[in-house]
Amino acid sequence: MLQKLKELENEARLKVKNAESLEALKEIKIHILGKKGELTTLLRSLAALDPEERPKVGSAANALRLELEKLFISKEQVLLDQSRGDKWSIEQIDITLPGRQASLGQKHPLTLITDEIKEIFIGLGFQVAHGPEIESDYYNYEALNFPADHPARDMQDSFYITPQYLLRTHTSPVQIRVMEKLAPALPVRIIAPGKVFRRDDDATHSPMFHQVEGLAVDRDITFADLKGTLLLFAREMFGPEQKIRLRPSFFPFTEPSAEVDISCIICEGEGCRVCSDTGWLEILGAGMVHPRVLEIAGYDPKQVTGFAFGMGVERIAMLKYGIADLRLFFTNDLRFLKQFV
Amino acid sequence: MQVPYQWLKEYIDPGMSAQQLADLMTLSGIEVGAVERFGPELPGVVVGQAKKVEQHPGRSNLTLVEVDTGGDILNIVCGAHNVKVGDKVPVARPGSKLPGERLIEETKLYGVLSSGMLCSAQELGLELGAEDEILILEEDAPLGVPVDRLLGFDDQILFLELTPNRSDCLGLIGVAHEVAALTGAQVVFPPCEPVESGRQLHDFIQVTVKDSEWCPRYTARVVVEITIKKSPLWMQLRLLKAGIRPISNVVDITNYVMWEYGQPLHAFDLELLTDSEIIVRRATAGEVLITLDGVKRELDTEVLVIADSTKAVGLAGVMGGENTEITETTKAILIEAAAFNPKNIRRTARRFALPSEASQRFEKGVNHDAVLDAQNRAAYLIGELTGGKVLQGLIDINSSMVKPWPVQLKPSRVNKILGMEIAQEEIIAILSKLGLPLKQVDEDQLLVTVPLRRPDLIIEEDLIEEIVRLHGYDRVPTTLPRGELTQNRESMPERLKTMVRNLLVSCGFYECITYSFINPANLNRLRIAGDDPRLRLISVQNPFSEEQAVMRTTLLPGLLKAALQNISYRELNMQLFELGIVYYPQKLPIISLPEETERLTLLVSGLAPEPNWVVPSRQAGFYEIKGALELIFKRFQIEGVNYLDRAEPFTHPTRSAQLLLDGKLFGFIGELHPDVAVDFGLEQPVTIAEIELAPLFSKANLVPRMVPLPRYPAANRDLAVVVSKEVCAAKLEEAIWAAGGELLDAVRLFDLYEGKQVPAGKRSLAYSLVFRTDEGTLTEAEVNAAQNKIEEALLGLGATLRS
Repeated sequence: MLQKLKELENEARLKVKNAESLEALKEIKIHILGKKGELTTLLRSLAALDPEERPKVGSAANALRLELEKLFISKEQVLLDQSRGDKWSIEQIDITLPGRQASLGQKHPLTLITDEIKEIFIGLGFQVAHGPEIESDYYNYEALNFPADHPARDMQDSFYITPQYLLRTHTSPVQIRVMEKLAPALPVRIIAPGKVFRRDDDATHSPMFHQVEGLAVDRDITFADLKGTLLLFAREMFGPEQKIRLRPSFFPFTEPSAEVDISCIICEGEGCRVCSDTGWLEILGAGMVHPRVLEIAGYDPKQVTGFAFGMGVERIAMLKYGIADLRLFFTNDLRFLKQFV
Repeated sequence: MQVPYQWLKEYIDPGMSAQQLADLMTLSGIEVGAVERFGPELPGVVVGQAKKVEQHPGRSNLTLVEVDTGGDILNIVCGAHNVKVGDKVPVARPGSKLPGERLIEETKLYGVLSSGMLCSAQELGLELGAEDEILILEEDAPLGVPVDRLLGFDDQILFLELTPNRSDCLGLIGVAHEVAALTGAQVVFPPCEPVESGRQLHDFIQVTVKDSEWCPRYTARVVVEITIKKSPLWMQLRLLKAGIRPISNVVDITNYVMWEYGQPLHAFDLELLTDSEIIVRRATAGEVLITLDGVKRELDTEVLVIADSTKAVGLAGVMGGENTEITETTKAILIEAAAFNPKNIRRTARRFALPSEASQRFEKGVNHDAVLDAQNRAAYLIGELTGGKVLQGLIDINSSMVKPWPVQLKPSRVNKILGMEIAQEEIIAILSKLGLPLKQVDEDQLLVTVPLRRPDLIIEEDLIEEIVRLHGYDRVPTTLPRGELTQNRESMPERLKTMVRNLLVSCGFYECITYSFINPANLNRLRIAGDDPRLRLISVQNPFSEEQAVMRTTLLPGLLKAALQNISYRELNMQLFELGIVYYPQKLPIISLPEETERLTLLVSGLAPEPNWVVPSRQAGFYEIKGALELIFKRFQIEGVNYLDRAEPFTHPTRSAQLLLDGKLFGFIGELHPDVAVDFGLEQPVTIAEIELAPLFSKANLVPRMVPLPRYPAANRDLAVVVSKEVCAAKLEEAIWAAGGELLDAVRLFDLYEGKQVPAGKRSLAYSLVFRTDEGTLTEAEVNAAQNKIEEALLGLGATLRS
C-alpha cells in the first residue's frame, strides 16, 4: 500500500511539472485530488486494510494530500504569472509624469502672518477684537493721550476725512473701545489686527499697512509680564532660539515704553546688512498702559495695570519670508502671491 | 539732532568713544540712528603758507603761488584770486587724493609746472564758500599738518532720533545732562557772562509784551559797533557738523547758541526797528509780513508777531521778517531770546508750512529758566567774536509761572509695575545721577523735584521709566501674566471669513489686498451713475493723489487694477479674490462713523485650470465664480439663493446675474462689459462678482445634521433631451423634480452640448437620475413609470428625447 502511495506521488509530481496551462493543471488536480481522483480512491480502500496497518498508511496518505495541495498552489501561481506577462507591459504607466494636482490658490501672505499671530495669542489667552478703520479723533488720538496741537501727533501723519474723523493711524483705538466696553470687568486680554493708514509713501512706507495691537489689563500686570509675553511670541514666530531686546522709547499712551528688537534672523546676531550690523531687528513698540489712558477708558490706575504692544504685520512677513520690497504686498502680482503656496 | 562729538565733549567727557556712547544712549532711550565721520580722508593734503603770489606768465586769469608746506616749497598754478601772501591754505600735494577719487598730480599748465593744487572748501568736501575761492585757514594752523585732521574731518557725528518727549536733548547741554546720568561724568557749562559797556539799553530800548500767555518770557540785549562778516572757521565747521549752513557771524552765533541750549534766538537789525521798540502782540486781521524766505504772509489775530512801533518784524518763534534782516550793512543788533506758547507756535508753523529748527523747539516747549542763559551766552559770543560792544543792561519780561515741580514716588510701586526688585538705594542713586533732587518722606515715599529742563517727567510712571531705563531694560525678568481664564475663540463672523478664504483657496483662488482708497474716476469708468449708493463717497481731505482720493464703496477697482498688472506681466490666467471693507456714510460730510461692511469680490480671467496634461482647461468665467460661491453657500447650508437675469451698469448685458437671498439683493456675478474692459485697458475677458457677506453670515449654519444612510439600492438612469435654448436649465430641473415624484432621489446635469449635432437655437442636456425609496428595492416597472413621467414633463416643455 505504501508503495502505491509512492508511485502516485511520483506520477503527480511529474504531471504537475509538465503542465503547460492552468486548464491542464486543473485537470490534473481533479484527476488526483478530486472526489473521484486517484488519491481519494486510494484512501477509500483503507477500510479493507488490516487494523494495525491502517493508521500508518492513513497518516502517510494525508501527508501526501497536503504536500500535493501545496504543489498545485505554487504551480498555479507560476502559470498565472506566465499567462499575464504581456498584460503587465501593456499596462505600464510613466511614473515620472507630473501628478494631477488640484489647482489650489493661496491666502495673501499678510493673512497667513496675521493668522499665525492670532493663533499664538489666542493660545496665550487673548481674545481677538476689531474696531473701525475710519476713526474719530477722540479714539485715535485724544483718548490715547495725544492732546490736540501736541508734537507727539507728528509721530503719525494722518489722512483726514473731516477735522473730527480720520483713517486710523494705528490699531490702538481698539484698546480704548474694548476697555470702555468691559470696564470695570477684569481681566482684559485682547489682540486687535487690522488695516491702518499713514500719510507716508516711499520705498519703506505704504499709505496703508497692517498692525496687530495687544492689550492686557489686570490687577497685577507687570513690565516683566510684557517682556515675557513678547519673548514667547518672538520664539513662536521666529524660532525657539530667538532673543529679544527692549530699548526705552516713547509713546504717549504707554509709560514706561519700549521698542522691541529680535535677534537678527538672517545672521543670528552676528551682524549683517539686513540688521545694519547691529545683530538686532526692530519689530514692535510696547509699554505699560499710561495711567491716563486707563483712567479715560474707565479703570482706576491705582488698582489695575496693563501692558500694550503694537506690531507691523508687513514687517514680520518681510522678515519671516525674506520679502525685500514692501510694495509687493499691495500690487497683487501673481508671481509673488504664488510663492506662498 | 546732530551731535558733533568733539563739540559735545566741551560740556562733558563721557570717557569713551563716540560709538560706545551711541550704543549706551540707544539702549537707555535716546536712539542714535547713526554715527558718522564728518569728512572724508584727504591723504596728502596739508597746511601750506603762501610765500609769493604772482600772475601766470601766459594766462592773466591764473596766478602762480609759492607755498611752504613746512619744509617743502611748492609752486602751484591756481585759478582763484583770493590768496594773499601769508595766508594759510590747504595744499593738495602731488599724489594726494581729493573726494570723488580725484588724484592730484604734477602737471604743466600753459608752460608752467604746477606741483599740486590749492583747494577750495568745496573741493575738500565742505559745503562752504564759493567754488572759485581757496579756503583760507586760520592763522595759527601749523604748516605741514594734514588738513583733514586740522578741520576735524575725523570727528564723529551722532545722529539722535529723538522721541517728541525728549526735547531736552535738542541742545548739546541737554545731551550732556543725559550723558552725565549714563556715565556719572560732570557737566561743564560754557562761559555766558558778556562784558557790558557803553549806554544803558533801558534808556532807549522799549520792549512791551502784550500777550503774556503766548509769550511768557521775553529777553533782549543790544550789541553795537558790529561788523558783519563770516564767522571764524572753527564755528563754521561746528555748524556744518551740526547740519546748519553758516551764514554770517551774528546769525551763526544765534544758531550756535541754539545748538548749545536748545533755545532759539533771533537777531534784528536795530536801526531798522522803528523807535527802537519791540512789541510782542497778536497780529491784526489782514496784517502782512514778508518773512525771511521772501514769502508774503497774510496774518490774523491767531498769529503772534514781534513788531516795532509801526510794523510786524517777525512771526514769533517761527521766522523773522525781511524788513529787519541782518545784512552786511548792519551795525547794531537786538538779540531776542524768548519763550512762546508751544501750541500757538505749532499752529502757526503748520499753517504757514514753516517747520524750522526754531519752531520745532518752541512747539515742544523751551526751558523758561534757560532763556536768560542763552541770551547771555549769545551776547558773550557776539562780543568776543564780532568786535561788537554789548550795551549795559538786559530786558527780561518774565511772567512765567513755571517752577520746579514735585512728583511723588513709591519704591514699592516701582517694583509692582516693573515686576522686579530694585533696591531703594539704587532708585535713589539713579534719581540723583539724573540730577533730580529728592526727599525721603517716609519708608516708602520719595518726593522728587523735577527741574524745568525735564518737562517730560510729570507723573510717577515717568520716573519709573527713568529708573528702569537707567537700571537697564535688559535686567527686567521675563514672566507671563497670571489670572483668570477667559473664552478666547474668534467671533463667528471672523471664523466664517476664514472659512470663505479656505474654500476659495481650495477652488484655486489667490487672495489679494488692495488699497482701501480709490480713484473716484474708476466709478465713472464702471458707468456707475445716478443715485447708485456706490457714488456716496467719503473723500480723504489730504490724499497723496487722485488715485487715493476716496474711500472705496466697492472692491472692484482694486481687483481690476490687479488683473491689469498681472496681464502686463503675462500672468494671463487668474482667479483672484479680496475680502475687505467698504465704507458707506450715513450723511455727507460724515458726522458719525460710517458703516463699514465686509465684501467679497472675485475676479477670473484666462484659462482654468492652468493648462495641464490631465484635464482640459477652459476660459474661466461666470461658472467658475458661480461654482465657488455655490460651494460657500453649501458649506454654510444656505439654500434659496436666487439668480436674477439682470446686469450691473458695468457687466455684459446677457452674461450677468444678480444674487438674491430671501428676495433681497446681496451681490452680482457678471462678465465685465466689453466697453468697460476697454476703458480699463483690459485686453482679455474678465468676469467679476461682488457680494455682501453679512446676509450670508447671518444665515450660516455650520453644523451638519446626518441623514440615515439608504437601506435599499438605487436605480440609476440617464436622460438626454434636446430643447430650445430659451428654456433655461433651472426650468428643466424644476420640471424633472416635479414629475419625478417621491421616487426621485437626485438629479445631476452631466453633459451640455450646443453645436452641429443639434439644430440651431437648441441644445442638448443630459441628466443622470437616481431613483430610490425607503420602502424597498424598486422594480424595473416602477422606475420606468417614474422616468416616463419625467420624459412627458420635458416633452411638455418642447423638448425632444435623445437616444
